Amino acid sequence: MDWTELVRERLALPCAEDVLFELASHLEEVYTDARARGTSDTEAIRIALEQVDDWQTLAGYIARTKSEVESMNKGTMNHRTKTMIVPAIAILFCIGLALLFVDHAAILSRVVWFACIALLLYAAASEASRLNGRTKSLWLPGFVSLTAASVLMFAEEFFLVHDPSFYFTDTSLRPSHLISGLPRWFYIVWLLVQLPCGALGAYLSRRSGGTRVARIVAGAFPALTMFFLCTLLIPINAFFEHHSFAFSPSLLTFSVLIWAALPAVALLLGAAPFLKESTRQIA
Amino acid sequence: MTKRISSKIVRGSGELAILSLLAEEPLYGFEIARQICERTGGALQFTLAALYPLLYEMEKRGWVEGQWQVNQAGRDRRYYRLTSVGRKQLTPLREQWRSFFQALDSLAGLSHA
Repeated sequence: MDWTELVRERLALPCAEDVLFELASHLEEVYTDARARGTSDTEAIRIALEQVDDWQTLAGYIARTKSEVESMNKGTMNHRTKTMIVPAIAILFCIGLALLFVDHAAILSRVVWFACIALLLYAAASEASRLNGRTKSLWLPGFVSLTAASVLMFAEEFFLVHDPSFYFTDTSLRPSHLISGLPRWFYIVWLLVQLPCGALGAYLSRRSGGTRVARIVAGAFPALTMFFLCTLLIPINAFFEHHSFAFSPSLLTFSVLIWAALPAVALLLGAAPFLKESTRQIA
Repeated sequence: MTKRISSKIVRGSGELAILSLLAEEPLYGFEIARQICERTGGALQFTLAALYPLLYEMEKRGWVEGQWQVNQAGRDRRYYRLTSVGRKQLTPLREQWRSFFQALDSLAGLSHA
């Protein structure tokens, strides 16, 4: 009996030869096993065919899962990602780089960078089946949380002070600038917008099956990034530019407190509801 | 012999059964089904229709990896082995099933049934 041909006919699905062969081999082994136990040929064939009660349902399952596995094994991206999203990311990246050297293009430059990040996240979501568990449950939610925090800060700068990047300058880190007037309101609003950013990171991490630690890290990702910037990049940059900031431990500590520690608390407050297991996961 | 369990329940337990077996050694489809049947005294029986969609789904998730190998008799078989991602799923899955049985026991008094 040609089991491969039988499977091909009954599945009626244009699937790979190795799938047909694997299923046919299974049926053949069931048949051989039944024969070895002394069953008649007709009865052994019947036992083998009983393995599948609904070939159409099986074909549907295989079409859904196996085609994605094959595309993963071949290492191919889906067509739209390859032909549209990746070239668009490359073009926006180049424009973003070029705008860094153009005067008075701060707003446009950041809009281009945000568009680039949004496309990058879209591409990652489209290719989610190719990503490993840690990327899906930690890096991607963390990156989304960071992007949301950056976009909201940009929006706040744009609508509140009409001067993008003003609060990124080192003068804004001085305590005297933050305790009164607009900077104080700017900072309070900024802390408040950290709540949904932390919630978003933790929620996405939980949805991807992230552990509690992964959810905490994903939720607090913007603060961790700011901590990294404050403790490493800013002093290095200031040192090479012979800036007094590098030699002022109190300013450095203050910047870590306002840009990393307090935002971390706000982010974790936002993330808190998603640190518990969802009822759907428990079920 | 243990009474055979309904196919709906068998499918639900499939991930844990397959991961547990593959944690011991790489196996091909028929052998997975045979060992599950043997080691559960016939209570759990996986037909082809139940087994392969599950295997392919687990392969898609990156829990298992299939590889064609020729055995001593010269026959091609697709052996599935557990990946590091799949190995990490095993402990939480066992925990979930343990909790499930405890919950069901407290509700339906299974241990006294």
